[in-house]
Order: sequence, then C-alpha cells, then structure tokens
Amino acid sequence: MSEAPRRSTRLNKNQEDDTKGKAKAVDQDVEMEDSADATTTTPEEKVLGPKELEALVVADIKQHFALFIKSAKTHEARFAIRALRAVSSLRKRLTSQILAQTIASCYVKDDETRKRLLGYLGSEAAASITAEHETTATKSDTPEVDVYLHLLVMIYLLDQNQLDKGMELSNITVKTVQELNRRSLDQLAAKVYFYYARFYELTGRLAEIRPTLLNAQRTATLRRDDDTQSTLINLLLRNYFHYNLYDQADKLVSKTTYPENATNNQLARYMYYLGRIKAIQLEYTESHQSLLQAVRKAPQNNVTAGFQQEANKLLIIVQLLMGEIPERSLFRQPVLRKALVPYFQITQAVRVGDLNKFQETLAAHAATFNADKNYTLILRLRHNVIKTGIRMISLSYSRISLRDVCLKLHLDSEEDAEYIVAKSIRDGVIDATIDHEKGFMRSKENVDIYSTNEPQHAFHQRIGFCLKLHNDSVKAMRFPLKAVQLDAAEVEAARDQERTLVQEIAEADEDMDEDDDL
Amino acid sequence: MAISEVKRLAQALSQEYNSANPNLAKCGQFLSQLKIALIELSYLTHEERPNNIEELTLARDVLEIGAQWSVRTKDIPSFERYMAQLQTYYNDHSVLPASPLKYNLIGLNLLCLLSQNRISDFHTALETIDPEQLHNNPAIQHPIKLEQSLMEGSYNRVWSSRSEVPSQEYLFFIDILMDTIRNEIASCSEKAYTSLPLSDAGTLLFFTNMEDILNFAKERNWKVNPVEQKAYFHSDTDEKINIPADQIIKQTMFYARDMDRIV
Repeated sequence: MSEAPRRSTRLNKNQEDDTKGKAKAVDQDVEMEDSADATTTTPEEKVLGPKELEALVVADIKQHFALFIKSAKTHEARFAIRALRAVSSLRKRLTSQILAQTIASCYVKDDETRKRLLGYLGSEAAASITAEHETTATKSDTPEVDVYLHLLVMIYLLDQNQLDKGMELSNITVKTVQELNRRSLDQLAAKVYFYYARFYELTGRLAEIRPTLLNAQRTATLRRDDDTQSTLINLLLRNYFHYNLYDQADKLVSKTTYPENATNNQLARYMYYLGRIKAIQLEYTESHQSLLQAVRKAPQNNVTAGFQQEANKLLIIVQLLMGEIPERSLFRQPVLRKALVPYFQITQAVRVGDLNKFQETLAAHAATFNADKNYTLILRLRHNVIKTGIRMISLSYSRISLRDVCLKLHLDSEEDAEYIVAKSIRDGVIDATIDHEKGFMRSKENVDIYSTNEPQHAFHQRIGFCLKLHNDSVKAMRFPLKAVQLDAAEVEAARDQERTLVQEIAEADEDMDEDDDL
Repeated sequence: MAISEVKRLAQALSQEYNSANPNLAKCGQFLSQLKIALIELSYLTHEERPNNIEELTLARDVLEIGAQWSVRTKDIPSFERYMAQLQTYYNDHSVLPASPLKYNLIGLNLLCLLSQNRISDFHTALETIDPEQLHNNPAIQHPIKLEQSLMEGSYNRVWSSRSEVPSQEYLFFIDILMDTIRNEIASCSEKAYTSLPLSDAGTLLFFTNMEDILNFAKERNWKVNPVEQKAYFHSDTDEKINIPADQIIKQTMFYARDMDRIV
C-alpha cells in the first residue's frame, strides 16, 4: 500500500461537498484514461480498464481484511488503525459492483448477512457478481471483517444519499457491535457510531439516538475504550448543540473526563465544542485557549476547510469579546477568505468603535450569523463597540463635554452618556473623572507603563509558555521505530566508510609530518 | 383521580386566578391538589407512555398558572421550580398546541435570572430560544434590551423600562433589579466623581426625597457636607504601591527550577 492518507474530519456539509467534488474529479480522471486507449492491450499500456480497476479495489479491500485479522490476532491496534486510515481514499473509489464482488467473495451464497448487505446495494450490484467471484469458503470467524464490510456499505450508502437504507443498516451494525464485546473491534466501533449518528442527523432525527449514545458512552468508559469514548463524547456534544441544549452539554463536559490518547482529529472537535460552551457562559479566556488548540490540532489542508472556517469564526468572536482585535492576516488565508467576510466587517466596526456601522453590518449579515448560530454572541459585542469608542475618546481628548461624547457615540441622551462613562471608569476601561455640574469629562495623565508591574506580568507569561513547551517536547520524545533498523545496515556501512576515510587522512598527515621532520 | 376530576379542578383554578380579584391562598390550595393529581397521571415520568395530548396540555396549563401565581405571591424558588418543569413541555413536546403564555413566561424567567445576577445562566437560556422570537417578541426583547443596558451602564434606561413592561409580573422583578443597580450606580459614582451635589446624587440614584439620599449616603460612607449640600467621595490617590515580594519570589524560584532541568 502506498502512504496512508490522512483521515479527513467530517464536520460540515461544506466538507461533504468538498470530498464529493474531489470524488467526481477522480472519477473523471479515471474515465478519461479509460476512453483514451480502451482497445489496445499491448504490454506497455499502463491504462487500466474498468474491470481491472474494480479488481484493484477489491484487492485493496482484501488486504485490509488481512490487516484486521492480524490486528485481532496480535491484539495490537495499529494494524486496524492503518486499515481505517485508508478508508477515506477508498471511499472515493467504491461502487456498488466492487462492494458486491467483495461481499460475494467473503460469504457463502446463502448466508444471511450476505443477502442483507446485497439487498442494500441494489439489484445491479448483484448482477455484477460473476462466477469467478464466488467462494466456497465458509464464513470467516473474524467478526472484524464482517463489521468492516458493513461499515463500507454504510459509507457507500451515505455517499449515494440513500439515507433511509443507511439508517436501517447502521441500526443493525450498532446492535452487532454492541453484542460482540471484543477489544479488537474498538476502532471499527468508533467509526460505526460516527456514521450512525450522521445518518440520523441528516434525516433530522437526532434526538432519538441520544439514549443509545449515552449508554454506549458509559460502556466504553467502563471498558477504557479510548477511541470509542472520544468519538461518542463528541457525537453527544454535537447532538446537544444541534438542539441548542448548551446546559446539558456543559453538564456532560463536567461529568466526563476526555481520554488523553484520543486522536488529534477527535481532540480538535472536542476543543471546538468546549470553546463554544465556555464562550456562551462568558468565560472568554478559557474559550480562547480551547479554540486556539482546536485550530492548531486540525489538519491544515483543504479537506478540513469547513471545520477551520467554523473554528476561526468562533475564535474571532471570542477575541473581540475579550477586547482584543484579531490580526488582519487571519482573514487573508485562502481557505477562510470568503467565509469570513461578514466577520471582517464586524471586526472593523468594533475596532473603530462606531455603533452605527456595527448595527448596519449586523442587520446586513443577520442571516449568515443565524446560520452559524453566532448571532447571540455577536449581540454581546455591542457593549465592546461602545467601550472602544469611549477609550478612543478619552485618549484623544484631555477634556470633553458629555454632550459631545453623546453625539460621537450616537447614544440616546446625555444622561446615558454620563452613566456609561461612569461605569467605564469603574471598570477600568478609561482613567478619568467626571465633573457633574459643568458637564464634562476630564482624562487623567498617562502613567508610564514601565514603572508598573505590567512588563513583569507579560514576561512571566512568555517565560512560562517557553518552559512549558520545552517540558512538553521532552516528554513527547520517543525511541526510534523498528523500521529504522532496516537502514541501520546502511548506517553501519556509512560509518565504516567514514572511519576508513579518517584513517587515511590521519596516515596522510603522518606522512606529511614525517616529510616535515626530514 | 379520574381525568374529569382533574379537569374540573384545573378549570376552577383558572377561573379563580383569572378573575378580577384572585384569592391567592385559595389558588395555592388548588395548585397543591392538582400537583398530586397530575402525578397520578404520571406527568413527571417520560418513558414509553402514550402521548395523550389532552393530558399534557392540561398539565402544562396548570403549571403555567402555577408559575404566574408564584410571582404574585413573591415566591421566587417556587417560580423557578415551575419554570424548570415547564421547560420540558416547551422543548420536547412539539405536538402540543402553542400556549399563549409561553413567551411571557420565558421572558419572566430571563428577567428572574437577570435580577439575581446569574448572567451566564441568562445567556445559556437565551440560546434555547427560537431566533425569530428573539427579534420580534416584545416579551423577550424586553429582558434582552435590559441586559444590554445593564452591561453598558445606562441605568436610566432600566428605570424607564418600568413603563414598558409586557405584563404585571415583570414589575416585581424589576424592583428587585433596581436595588442591585442602585449599588452599582453608587460604586460607579464614587470612582467617577470627586464630589456631587446631593440633589443630583438623588436623581442619579432615582431617589425622590432627601431622607433616602442621606440614609444611602450613610450606608456607603460618603462624607456629607450639609452646608454646601455636597457629598464627597473617598478618593484613592494615596495608595502605596507595594512590591509584591511573595509573587516575585515564587516566580523566580519557578524559573530557576525549570532552567536547572534543562540538561
């Protein structure tokens, strides 16, 4: 097998469209190659006809079977993980014919499971099973292969948008997985639950599966099944978010401990959900940290575009709510540019402190914000706009009448302005006093910041971060893998060469010295 | 109790409550009886029971009246209990006919959270509300605007919102809110002004007579100068900036320890 491609995260419909677009492109490439030289069959021809391609894919799938069986025998998860990683590239090449042929070659003709699976694939698939694909082998005794085939059919149905069939099949698969309490099925089980939830989500019946997911999560925790546990917690959180039940999501997070060995993909999702919950509860600093981690852990390629967009949108809003302005370079990244346009405008309005512009942008893009479920968070930004406005004013004017403040900030009345300024002074946004009788606000002199403790705090944060980074990298060091030992022979040869070279140079030096002595 | 009995009681309760001069004690009695009756109809459990829409609607109406009644009798914990029970009726059972009081009560709940300063709960509750209703429904717009004005600090808007309440029950919570914000205004004024004439202090704090102002000033330890009718606030220009020795020592030890670990 060539290098294993990365597992793509599948969070949004955007991503689905991306992968489907890619699938179409790949298929088109293949078809073009076919039509180019279909008739000639000289040995130099490297173009493959459709039959050969199918055979290739079937062979790939059989290789995966071997991996799964090996994983079950040796009780090591990494073979299963390797096989599962290839699913994303395999997905694009699956057709019902290929699946039917694989199923035919695994099961005996009258097997229950086979009939069921073939039923889901449709009649044309069954027709493509020729004699050479039949097998006389008895049913294999590794259920991993069974579950893996079910998983492949489920993925195929998902890609073909046959949601009802997919739901039925996923129900059956989940029951099978739950009955078979085998550790070697763990990675497969995680994937099965994921697609199970996805089918229900696409048909809008998420609430029904909540009890099943909760039960499964409990058993996974008892069995210390990290992969399934992390997937299930993420699925549950997604479920709650879909129905806006942030309260329950918060309780789930507080009652469960997220497994530490979860894969980066799952961890990225979890951090995003966590960041969202904290942002709604007004804990912006924690939310900011979680979201930063989410953005960093997600793979930075085109397939995860949807997730990156969502995470970055939330990150921008949280930064604005904390009072920091996000950097402009964030908006220029090619993956994010179009999606972040409304957020860019909001950032501009907040930075300048212009309440009118803020209201306009809000009204103009209300639909986008609602669709992203960020509308209520952006409403909170109104207060930030005013705060920034007041800060600008206090910096620019040493003394300004309250009436002018009211005009500049587009507030409703002078009393409003007075109250707002008084509150800002108390909150430490600005340093000023109000003279009530004469009706003006006077700013205090600027204090030299280096004479306070501020620089020390900033330094301490940076030092702490660097030291933590150092400690973490030391902890993350690993011994080199066994595969490297294959090159060890070469390394030995290289070292020998070096040694001989050094000796020769040394001899040459001695010779020269002798010459010198003479 | 058979369901007809329950219906009869519920009707009696709603008649009593909606009449011109309700007898609150009697309503309370009705409510306790009804709660017991409804338990027998198993309205608290949510397993595989048949969705009897009539029963559910009945239960929900009773609970709504109960919530309103507890506001009238100024019993906040009871109001919160009723609201908690009503949440499932609003969220999970979408087959029920829409209740006219629903958004009123949701708005009341939001206001209750605000007045107790539970801002994060307020925002979480806000998320569960339909976005359309957020914009258009006056009952919900009212607490939202209130929260915005509180965040900004324009307390006079809070005061003027008293006149715009959608229903009587809101006034109760707004009065609680006024107490909280009086303290807020006072602490803002202390930092912002060096001195204030007493009458102006009164208007700022929404007091009407001098007595209240003087009492308040005494509570907050303002120095009142009766001759000039001014109140002087304690200014904190003479703070000494101590070197935070403790913290510096801890930080330096932390650096030293980690640096030594680097091999």
